[in-house]
Amino acid sequence: MSTLLLNTLTGKTSAGSIVVTGEGGSTTTNMQQGLAKAWTNFNGTGTIAHRDSFNCGTLTDQGTGQYDINFTSNMASANHCPTANSNAYNATNNFNSSAFCPVGTSHSSMTGNTASNTSLGSFESGGAYQDAELNFVSVDGDLA
Amino acid sequence: MVAHGTIAFDTLTTSDQVNTGTEKSIDTSYVFNGVAKVWNNINGTGTIAIRDSFNVGSITDNGTGDYTHTYSNAMASVNQANGGFARVNSYFGFLGGVIDDTFTTTSMRHATNRHDTMNYADAVIATVTIHGDLA
Repeated sequence: MSTLLLNTLTGKTSAGSIVVTGEGGSTTTNMQQGLAKAWTNFNGTGTIAHRDSFNCGTLTDQGTGQYDINFTSNMASANHCPTANSNAYNATNNFNSSAFCPVGTSHSSMTGNTASNTSLGSFESGGAYQDAELNFVSVDGDLA
Repeated sequence: MVAHGTIAFDTLTTSDQVNTGTEKSIDTSYVFNGVAKVWNNINGTGTIAIRDSFNVGSITDNGTGDYTHTYSNAMASVNQANGGFARVNSYFGFLGGVIDDTFTTTSMRHATNRHDTMNYADAVIATVTIHGDLA
């Protein structure tokens, strides 16, 4: 069989688990758990907006360099696994390859990740939140 | 609906109903090469703990801001790709490497650092995703 035409893949034994054989041929992995559940490339300056995305709904501007990325389909819990990068910088600190950090109560009024969104901040080397033009986010974890 | 325990095929075609409603095909090599093989969300303070994970057997606290994630199923080689980030208490954080000791086929070691001094610091949250080939 070379081509399989279908609309939905569902595990037979467990609906949420389809086993695929790994590249080396000796190990298997769970396809659903390995799939990225959301990703976005967004502009975090001015009127923030997705350039392209998957399973991302609205973006919420929580202030300078602080963003909520709201999912279209929710995750199962707040304990998902986001990874991200941005290009925050300012003229004073001249740091143009800053990383994201998961936002928490010690840095923001935002409460952090929930099942329906992930909260992120971009910052520069002086330690201040800074809007970033380029932001790349990928979210792994379990869908609801 | 037809239920099969195992099927072998090379190309997957779907309607892509959620995004466009049009038919899209993908070679199955993108499926098993493209899925993340490991992801982990940890609390790296105090007694470190996994919040949620995939293909992670255990984590090890190697000292302040220094962690090893051990996989349940091994990778094919040390040539893996990882993404991740962190937040440390009271400071912005980075996910950094540990000199001369990062990837093995069964684990990945990394540091979490303060943004200002780059010193190691325990992470309130550190997330890691690993791509590559399974053994």
